[in-house]
Amino acid sequence: MAGSGVDEPRRDVLDTLSKWGLAAGLVAAYGTFAAFLGRFLFPAGPPAKGWMYVAPLKHLSVGDSVLFRTPGGATVNIARQQPEDEEGAFIALSSTCPHLGCQVHWEGQNNRFFCPCHNGVFSPDGKGIGGPPGDAGQSLPRYPLKVDAGLLYIEVSTEELAMGPGKILEDQESPPGPGHDPCLFVCPAPFADPGRRA
Amino acid sequence: MTLKEKRTILIVLSGLFLASLVFVQKLEVARRYEEAGLSPHSVAIPASSRQCVDCHIQGTPGIVDHWRGSTHALKGVGCVDCHRADEADADAFPHYGYTVATIVTPRDCAVCHGEVAKEFEKSHHAAGGNILASLDNFLAETVEGAREPFNPHSPTPGKAVDMVNGMASAFSGCQQCHGSKIALLGTDGGMITVDELQPDENGRPTNLDALAKVVKDESGRPRFHAGTWPNTGIGRLNLDGSRGSCSACHSRHDFSPRRARQPENCGKCHLGPDHPQKEIFEESKHGIAYRDLKDEMGLDGDSWVLGKDYSHAPTCATCHMSGNIRNGGKITHDPGERISWTNRPPVSLVMDTDINGKIVKATDPAERQKLIADTAEAKRTRMKAVCSNCHTPDYVNAFYKQYDDLVILYNEKFAKPGKAIMAALQDQGLLTPTQFDEEIEWTWFYLWHHEGRRARHGASMMAPDYTHWHGMFEVAERFYMEMIPQARELADHDGGTAGAEVHRVIDEILARPEHRWFEEGAAEQMAAIRKAMEERYGQGGPAAKKGGEGP
Amino acid sequence: MATPVRWIQERLPVSGEDLRELTNEPVPNHLKRWWFALGGTPAYLFVVQIVTGLLLAVYYKPAAETAYESVRFITEEAAYGWLVRGVHKWGATFMIAAVILHQMRVYFTGAYRKPREINWMVGMCMLICTLMLGFTGYCLVYEQLSYWGAAVGANIAGSVPVVGEWMKMAMLGGDGFNSQTLPRFFVLHAAVLPTLLTLLVIVHIGIIRVQGVTEFEFGDEPEDEPKYFNFFPEHILSELIIGLLLMVVLTALACIVPATLGPKADPLVTPEVIKPEWFFYVAFRWLKLFTGTVAVLSTGFIVFIMFVWPFIDDWIRRKTKYPEASVWIGIVGVLLIILLTVWEAVVAH
Repeated sequence: MAGSGVDEPRRDVLDTLSKWGLAAGLVAAYGTFAAFLGRFLFPAGPPAKGWMYVAPLKHLSVGDSVLFRTPGGATVNIARQQPEDEEGAFIALSSTCPHLGCQVHWEGQNNRFFCPCHNGVFSPDGKGIGGPPGDAGQSLPRYPLKVDAGLLYIEVSTEELAMGPGKILEDQESPPGPGHDPCLFVCPAPFADPGRRA
Repeated sequence: MTLKEKRTILIVLSGLFLASLVFVQKLEVARRYEEAGLSPHSVAIPASSRQCVDCHIQGTPGIVDHWRGSTHALKGVGCVDCHRADEADADAFPHYGYTVATIVTPRDCAVCHGEVAKEFEKSHHAAGGNILASLDNFLAETVEGAREPFNPHSPTPGKAVDMVNGMASAFSGCQQCHGSKIALLGTDGGMITVDELQPDENGRPTNLDALAKVVKDESGRPRFHAGTWPNTGIGRLNLDGSRGSCSACHSRHDFSPRRARQPENCGKCHLGPDHPQKEIFEESKHGIAYRDLKDEMGLDGDSWVLGKDYSHAPTCATCHMSGNIRNGGKITHDPGERISWTNRPPVSLVMDTDINGKIVKATDPAERQKLIADTAEAKRTRMKAVCSNCHTPDYVNAFYKQYDDLVILYNEKFAKPGKAIMAALQDQGLLTPTQFDEEIEWTWFYLWHHEGRRARHGASMMAPDYTHWHGMFEVAERFYMEMIPQARELADHDGGTAGAEVHRVIDEILARPEHRWFEEGAAEQMAAIRKAMEERYGQGGPAAKKGGEGP
Repeated sequence: MATPVRWIQERLPVSGEDLRELTNEPVPNHLKRWWFALGGTPAYLFVVQIVTGLLLAVYYKPAAETAYESVRFITEEAAYGWLVRGVHKWGATFMIAAVILHQMRVYFTGAYRKPREINWMVGMCMLICTLMLGFTGYCLVYEQLSYWGAAVGANIAGSVPVVGEWMKMAMLGGDGFNSQTLPRFFVLHAAVLPTLLTLLVIVHIGIIRVQGVTEFEFGDEPEDEPKYFNFFPEHILSELIIGLLLMVVLTALACIVPATLGPKADPLVTPEVIKPEWFFYVAFRWLKLFTGTVAVLSTGFIVFIMFVWPFIDDWIRRKTKYPEASVWIGIVGVLLIILLTVWEAVVAH
């Protein structure tokens, strides 16, 4: 900036400070405004997420896992690794191996996720530690989980939430539990003949 | 202004601009929150119902949305507060850590709305379910349908029909207004109703054998008999022994007072050929004014007192239920409190009621005096309090004179004679004990149940066309042109003393001054009419001449 | 650091000195008074309008079936859409206000006098351009009032003698508001008028640079100080202050009084009360005072007088004894404008 003030011969610290302050203020203010305007060009925003019900906590004991399919079709291994009834005791990882797309499963006894196609091994938090994924440093995408009132929830996009409940495809090493209330959304069981009266 | 001053101002302004952008950001976040359906109405979801809402917003978003717009939601009354059940309740089931029941009965509503529930309990509305063993129900269950399921007699292409439900008309018709007797499915295929469960005063079933037979799905939820639920009939007989359904008028799940104040709400049931109250209202000056001024009537208001919040026009609720300045704004949930005639039976009765709200039918004045707890006159006074917000006492009293006269005319000229003729036929054994298997039974039913009520209701709510053309005119036609000839035919067919007795009853009726014209003719009157027509229109037209020929 | 500068200078032989020379015109001292800095305000707002307008055009769909829905989308769904629309709307209001204030300042200080008559007329063209921008922009929303505003506007244009019908047809693309109309308004609002206005701004500023800013002297100015100050940084800082102040006010207004969306245009139902935007209240009231052609012609006549005012003023100063008559005429004119605007604002019809 051409700063040759006519009536201000002395340059002091304050002057420099005010100049920088001015520049910073202008950049910050107009910059924020410009950022807002730029954001306007992406109307949809980041995909909204919501919590989808998976199962009661007691459905899974330590070492167990379930293969959960979201309504959008993604398959997720949800494994219980600790006995505490809190989020940290569980982990939800995509069951699709980053190597060639095979299905990864939790091996409770070995404390690892395992892909049988090329012996891919993942640590309990999903990092590739052996086989092709280990060599390539790939890990399994992780899904946030939430525990509320003894029930386990997984974070999925709101579009998926609107598509209906997800589904537990298979239980591994766990007894069959009460699962999701089947009558909440669809009630396939036929009513008995209403014509008969006692 | 020096450069430095300008710079300082600029720095301050930059800060201000940033501050306003922070405000922008706050608004944007709030907007997005709202867009995501997280805060549509600043309604705080009660913690106990948070979980219900989270799940049901996906499964049944409509229910959650309706509730969100309700006063309940505003006041923090959530799902669990109404659907909460005791484990001992017949229809209770565990649902994500709560014990709930599907059907919310007046007993549940009474937890908060106790006074209202008491008023309702006394009302004729609450007794709507008593139709289940009445003549009307005989119509639906036997005449229209069949009490037992029967086999279809030919296939229905595209649908596997192995059984015809003969109760369909009763389930979908009668009971949707009158209320069903809610039933759970029994393991033996039977129905488990309040009769089987024998609930105690807390609504808990005492018959544990019946309870044990209830069919439940794998999550422990009892199965309802599909004929009896869904049902929001006003006199529903609930499993806990309570009678009625508040959502009959206060539609779930928004429980909109606005809707309950509108005639369309009552029009779910009070319409049609046998009691067209809604159509009668629409024809009346009251209904005309309502249609015109509806938008200005403050139907949304917290308070809706006639004379204070509005005076534009009355709705059904205004006269029969809502408060007005003359009664201190007191609302009643017993619409019978302001009704002085019951026009429901064949012969209208004066609404002197006993302590249970039942009409006193005793004829001895002293006996009546003893039984009456609330007189028809007191009821009429309550109604007049409503009227007097807009009409002078003379006007109101004269209206009631017109109304009384019409009801009494109908009673004396057609209803009591009709009843006497039917009784004579019955007594003389000329009718089978079975209803609706003889033409005259249909004739008589049409006369009082449809046409007679239309005439009386029309007069009660100022609808001239219903009083006359849909009412008395058809009553008269039914009486003279169908009932009398049919009764005489039955008598002639008998030919014996029984027939003669019936003829005697009819003759005695027709000899009365009000009926004499029918057989003796009314030549004098016709001549007078003809003369008047000639004076009015010159030559008496062909219509006048034709009319002169008499019946 | 030096290399890229040299790289550029080898290709564009413009030195920093030249640039400074080009932009750093000495500014007369009177411009230290805020009242005289109003000319830059509409220019600044014009830039704001271009930026926000371009963004709005990204989502706006100029067709009868889609226009309202796209505006609703911008207002309710797009991220910060309400802010962009709010700033654009309030920016328009402020821009028109600033243009009017600038013109009044020029008028009352007699800055249009010889040799600046041409620039006054350029300014008049800019005023008309700005008002047209306001009108077409308002119509694009396609809500009830803007639809009927457009319909009424077209009919007023249609009552101009001889060319009226042609103007109306050209404006609407048919006898009435039809499916061809909105795209026309959009092209006018987003392409034709802004381009025209940009060219006029260049001419306007170019003429100022050629002629220099009118110089005024005030009695309270010290004699011994220079009569000019530098465009950089002094005047630009003043303009920056105005610009920032405007941003604060615009964003605040966009938050507090957001741009709303009335009911969708319904060609079958005329609203009880039709009102244009506030800046047309004067003309609207004037048109209501007279009938049809007379009203339109008189409006045209007034605009014509305003156009050639420098020459009329010159004539008055030379031929009459009242050299300052323009001030009094101006005061009467302003009062009349205020009166008509307020009148239109307070009555329903």
